Amino acid sequence: MVKKSTKTAAFALTAAALLMGATACGSNNANNTSDNANTGNTGTNAGGNAAAGGDKNVTITFQNIYPDPATPSYKMLHSIVDQYQKDHPNVKIELDSLNTDQQKLKLKTQAASKEVPDITIVNPAAQMKPFVDAKLFAPLNDMLDQNGLKDTFQKGLLDYYSFDNNIYALPDGNNIEVVYYNKDMFAQAGITATPTTYEEFLDDVKKIKAKGMTPIAIGEKDSWTGSFLFMNILLRTNGGPGFLQDVLDGKKTFKDPAFTDAVSAMQDLIQAKAFEEGATSIDYNTGGNLFKTGKAAMMIMGTWETGAIDSSTVGPKVGVFKFPTVNGKGDPDQFMLAPGSAFAVSANSKHLQETKDFLNYFMTEMPKKQFELKNAVGSGQIITGDFKAAGYSQLAQDVLALFQNVKGGDLAFDNTMKPAIAQAHLSSIQNMFVQKVDPAAVAAEHQSAFDSNK
Amino acid sequence: MNVLKVPARTIAVFVLPCLIIYIGLVFVPIIVSIYDSLLDWDSINKAKFIGLDNFKTMFAHDANFWPAVRHTLMYAVFSMLEIPICLFVAALMNRYVKKANTLVSIYFVPVILSTVIIGQLWKTIYNPADMGGMLNGILNSLGLESWTRSWLTEPKIAMYCLYFVSLWQYFGYHLLIQFTGVQNIPQEVYEAAKIDGAEGFKSDWYITYPMAVPIFKISIVLAFIGSLQQFDLVWVMTGGGPAHATDTISTHMYNSSFLSLKYGYGSALATFLVFVCLVFTVVINSVFKKVEAKYS
Amino acid sequence: MKGISKGIVYAVLGILVITQIYPLFWLVLYSLKTNEQILGSSFFSLPTTPQWHNYKDAYKSGHYLQYLGNSVLVTVVTLVCVIVFSSMVAYAISRFKWRYGPIVTLIFLMGMMIPMQATLLPLMVIFKNLHILNTRWALILPYIAFATPISVFILSGFMRGIPAEIEESAFIDGASVYRIFRSIILPISIPPIMTVVILTFITIWNEYIMAATFISSEKLKTLPFGIYTFVSQYNVNYGAIGAFLVLGALPVLIVYFVLSERITKGMVAGAVKG
Repeated sequence: MVKKSTKTAAFALTAAALLMGATACGSNNANNTSDNANTGNTGTNAGGNAAAGGDKNVTITFQNIYPDPATPSYKMLHSIVDQYQKDHPNVKIELDSLNTDQQKLKLKTQAASKEVPDITIVNPAAQMKPFVDAKLFAPLNDMLDQNGLKDTFQKGLLDYYSFDNNIYALPDGNNIEVVYYNKDMFAQAGITATPTTYEEFLDDVKKIKAKGMTPIAIGEKDSWTGSFLFMNILLRTNGGPGFLQDVLDGKKTFKDPAFTDAVSAMQDLIQAKAFEEGATSIDYNTGGNLFKTGKAAMMIMGTWETGAIDSSTVGPKVGVFKFPTVNGKGDPDQFMLAPGSAFAVSANSKHLQETKDFLNYFMTEMPKKQFELKNAVGSGQIITGDFKAAGYSQLAQDVLALFQNVKGGDLAFDNTMKPAIAQAHLSSIQNMFVQKVDPAAVAAEHQSAFDSNK
Repeated sequence: MNVLKVPARTIAVFVLPCLIIYIGLVFVPIIVSIYDSLLDWDSINKAKFIGLDNFKTMFAHDANFWPAVRHTLMYAVFSMLEIPICLFVAALMNRYVKKANTLVSIYFVPVILSTVIIGQLWKTIYNPADMGGMLNGILNSLGLESWTRSWLTEPKIAMYCLYFVSLWQYFGYHLLIQFTGVQNIPQEVYEAAKIDGAEGFKSDWYITYPMAVPIFKISIVLAFIGSLQQFDLVWVMTGGGPAHATDTISTHMYNSSFLSLKYGYGSALATFLVFVCLVFTVVINSVFKKVEAKYS
Repeated sequence: MKGISKGIVYAVLGILVITQIYPLFWLVLYSLKTNEQILGSSFFSLPTTPQWHNYKDAYKSGHYLQYLGNSVLVTVVTLVCVIVFSSMVAYAISRFKWRYGPIVTLIFLMGMMIPMQATLLPLMVIFKNLHILNTRWALILPYIAFATPISVFILSGFMRGIPAEIEESAFIDGASVYRIFRSIILPISIPPIMTVVILTFITIWNEYIMAATFISSEKLKTLPFGIYTFVSQYNVNYGAIGAFLVLGALPVLIVYFVLSERITKGMVAGAVKG
């Protein structure tokens, strides 16, 4: 009896060990997601296959962050994919549409087991570096040379996605940070001209506040929003771009006056109650909707919002201006640059060539489709169409005019610094929204996060 | 009592299918996680074995760790404090309400709804008044303007607002457990006590509460373990913010593992969490053993 | 005196009914409002004109039926497996005399303490090697595994309380252990099984992290996943989200109220001797 149950236990342990083995030898044989899906679909595609003349059936998994059917991005994605599948009956594009948070978590989990989908989405520069270092992405240089795709991109844009002369991802846009404002609400507060200095800006905030309106909408639960604004102030107090790069290069520290001045300026804004009450519990979408429903007078955000603002109820009343100078420093034509999230191809893709072919087609079509859908403001690719003739709004044209004069700028904090430092930064900025802080202490917090995560 | 002597093969048939799935998909992963806690690993690139360094950082250098532990333990304490109230209400219902089952079912509704719904609802309740916040709206109409505040963003009170939502949500859950326990006490016991002159609250004190101790224990353990793992609600409502003011061990773990890309460190936090769970469950069990011994 | 305290008790219980059931009404109202009303107007306000098209939007663009079908399938298979497996284990650890019983019990109970987020990465690797990523099994198997501990806990508690005489007499009559389990133990364990069913059902029906991580094909995705993705990156239709939430909660509410009477009984039975 005893002996037998020992045996039983031994069996159980063996079984467990087998499963353990399954965990241990993880890193080989990648990408059976698409493999499995492919086997599953062979049957349904058989007819089309014959018509296409013997090409093998291929399923490409396309992880993306456009799940909302109400958005132009969703329409763009689906119409291009549908067209491609029609032209290539042997290719099936499996869309895995997630929201941003889900996609980030999923990709990181997948990356840990080298299970990256054929096409996925990453953020530029520092945020995609760990994936590139792990050799998870395929270089796209050869593919960019086909059909002249490379030349469709704005000059220098692809640099944010390049490492060691290889381009690893193609951006879905290229935006800058601007101040959107509600003209009606400005008029109500008696503001006649948009501010060009930070003093005027603070003054206007106080005027709007005095009328009982919320000056600036922000969704600080998603803490990158506050950081994005803070970095714009820093871009001014530093007299130009490159502060974080200087820190990385060891030329400056966070204790530099440019940084502490930026913290003070940001603090002035928060202490003037420029933002809606309880901003740190408001998520990005809700924050944006405060502005789009006329409950806040300004929104300081990337130009990707232009389309959504246009189609909102306040659309026709919205204007745009450049972020002002701070303490007389900085050039208003320098902007926070936001090269978009970008499409990368898995190095382990079972159908690498087919995937690259598809992405080439996708990126070639994207600017045209975006233009048609009135979503081409902030496109990363050169658009030849006439925006005015195509019926783009005055706001869209104003934003496009700002693009014409961009004289460089900085990337967001999390695109420049390692994730661990970026997280410390984000929570440090978020903290300013809930309590008064000493700029020197904020600087010290940043410095120690930087030093311990070099 | 365990009575049946059966051949090992039979035991295997009964136990193995479940045990294999369970060991393979719950136990093995957590053992892997414990191993990962010894690594300096971003979950993507090559890992470096660093022994117990993650734990050293955790205990000595992470300014956000101990507050997260405190929030988590407070969470547990509040959840456990709710259970005597549930027992009290259950005893009342048993005495005063005829169709108590329906009532219990209604109280259970918040447990069924997904955290997204609960989170959205309570965010709307806690919102500032000009965004339709109910709580501030009520305070305003009562003339208590000075009491209104931004509930979820003031670091000192945000955590309490979260505790309260959980208490509200799990009230029905623990009431259900307590109520069924109370119902299960044989009627004869009460009748016997009636003859001795114990009725109403007196009979609750001498019969209901002592006899409910075993079920009380179950609720305590479930509340403790559940609140230690509390993640969804905090994530939906505050994301652990503002600036870590509402971080619990599990949100801190999620942040470290997936946002800061310090997966090894996140695993160390997970290991710590499991360890705390184990230790406290043993403690709770041994405390109750003494209590039960006293009453039986 | 007695009347007064009775009155107070009823008042308290009545207030609790309102606070506990209010979210349902709130959600239904929410789902019928426009974005402007949701963001702007007061908490108690009624929708001026009910926006029924929110439901149409949610139904059409949320893949409701497809996700619902997947959720039902995954949930049913999981539930059947959980019931069968965990009642077998519960029987074995509560009634069989064997050496490793206590250890196995302990191992199962420890499962309740394991945070799900910590298992995501290892599970990904395991599923990859079992070649079940992006199949329904990648949800069903972990759902079973994570539902087991509490189920075993409840069921074994109940089974310990079954008088031994029932089995002994059946044994003497020559019935096999399997037969006893099937025709005696399982039928009388229905109440705690109902409890297990509803608890597991609630958890699975609302689970989204694994659903988003292990499934990539549109045709396999489940309802809670749909709810989360419905909240998109740069644009939000709150009313439609509310409508989707109502549609998502509907099945679980129906199942719950159909079973609720039995759940109460099952908890009693299951909990007593835990």
